[in-house]
Amino acid sequence: MSRAAAVTPGAQRAADRMAVFLARQIRDGETVFHGVASALPMVAVALARRAHAPGLTYLNIPGGVDASPSRLPGSTVGVQLMEGARAQFSLIEIFDLSARGGLDLAFLGGAQIDSRGDINLSFIGDPARPKVRLPGGAGSASILPTAKRTVLWRTVHDPRSFPERCPWVTASGRVDRVVTPLCIFRKVEGRLRIESRHAGVAPGAIRAATGFDPGPAEEAPETPEPTGEERAALEAADPEGVRFLEFA
Amino acid sequence: MPEKLLSLPEAAGLVRDGDMLALGGNSLTRTPAAFVRELARQGRSGLRLVKTAGAYEVDLLCAAGAVAEVHAGYIGFENLFGLAPAYRRGVEGGTVRPVEHACYTVIAGLRASAYGLPSQPVAGLQGSDLPGLTGFRRVEDPYTGERVYMIPRIRPRWAIVHVQHADPEGNARIEGGVFEDVLMTRAAEGVILTAERIVETAFFEARPERTSVPAFMVRAVVRAPGGAAPGACFSFYDTDEEAVASYIEASASPEGLRAHLAAWEPRDRSPAGAPAASGGAP
Repeated sequence: MSRAAAVTPGAQRAADRMAVFLARQIRDGETVFHGVASALPMVAVALARRAHAPGLTYLNIPGGVDASPSRLPGSTVGVQLMEGARAQFSLIEIFDLSARGGLDLAFLGGAQIDSRGDINLSFIGDPARPKVRLPGGAGSASILPTAKRTVLWRTVHDPRSFPERCPWVTASGRVDRVVTPLCIFRKVEGRLRIESRHAGVAPGAIRAATGFDPGPAEEAPETPEPTGEERAALEAADPEGVRFLEFA
Repeated sequence: MPEKLLSLPEAAGLVRDGDMLALGGNSLTRTPAAFVRELARQGRSGLRLVKTAGAYEVDLLCAAGAVAEVHAGYIGFENLFGLAPAYRRGVEGGTVRPVEHACYTVIAGLRASAYGLPSQPVAGLQGSDLPGLTGFRRVEDPYTGERVYMIPRIRPRWAIVHVQHADPEGNARIEGGVFEDVLMTRAAEGVILTAERIVETAFFEARPERTSVPAFMVRAVVRAPGGAAPGACFSFYDTDEEAVASYIEASASPEGLRAHLAAWEPRDRSPAGAPAASGGAP
């Protein structure tokens, strides 16, 4: 069963690109963690292991170390993430690892991501009586300041999702890159700047969709499109299309 | 010594209105789903829930009006179904108080309790508005002068944990992801287990190092095959996404929730434990 049927062709293309671009952020040999509600990073890790980073160490919430899931679950805490694991290294131990400086890379999401790379996953409106109660930041307030590097992603790129400042900061810290359906931001001197824009995305479209000044979009090179090899690895890693869940 | 092997209604009857409960499992995996459905059927109220990342079990208790506070890092249905509808309604309507945590601060609070301490230092949180909102204070380390957040003790009245194997005395083995469950059992005043299988004590004697919870910590054990459904239980069953979707629909109204609880009641309360059927009804 493919989950592709639930989303538009445009969303499918965005999901494919984001999975590949997130995977490229992983360096071979790194210790990599993703948490709850992280379908795209889960797919990206599976893809990277089949492509350029076979030597990464994969950590997840169920505690599977280098699990080889029979299928990727819709919940990124799913029981499959222990299958084929060589050891159990619990979530508590993962937080401890990050706290002592031993976690190379973490993927974290944000309902809002601001110009400094700070994220809001908690509330829209007054925290005492919010207009929208968001799910909460899970591990982000602990991982963002302690992991060596974090990569953020968000599948919606509009001014509300990318404000100058988050009205409420759930977590702040060592953001390296942010991957969106339109572009890749890099944090430089404390601010997110466009590093590359995806093929076919006009510089003006990124400025219009971003609530802060992302720097000179015209000068940003195009993000290289997924290669044939990357596409093949993506299909092999995620034949059911779990990556499309974030776009449904 | 009181009998420990109880029926689901008897065990749920140990929980009082207003109790603080640490709920085992994570997201849709190995959560005490049958137990919380029974709490809802018994009309419990004012519960204070402790969880790192919760979904169905927290949302269902919110839908039932059973919850006063949720101490958690994340409540939602992930990329599958998004925000938790009843939790969201409760918080936005002012009936459920969210005590904002990071997962690691929940762990730190539970560690403080397990270690017999009033609070526990924790790494991270720099730059976050969370400590100000929840009231986490910073102290200076007496040796290095480093400033570090201290998380107050979280001492639940009960840890409620669904496990794969338990014996009638309360020895338990968790398979697959353990999440924070072992810590919860050490942090709480008492432990209530639901189990896929009730096994002989010899099962534990053969491999005592694999016993997750020793019997002396446990007040009650319930035989509950399928007790984590519609979520998953490692080596037993996977998440039933259709059944979760039908819960989300049901949670929109009191009638829907009543129907949901009634539909699951025979299976929850039947020791025979009919095997899981796919789809919305058990």
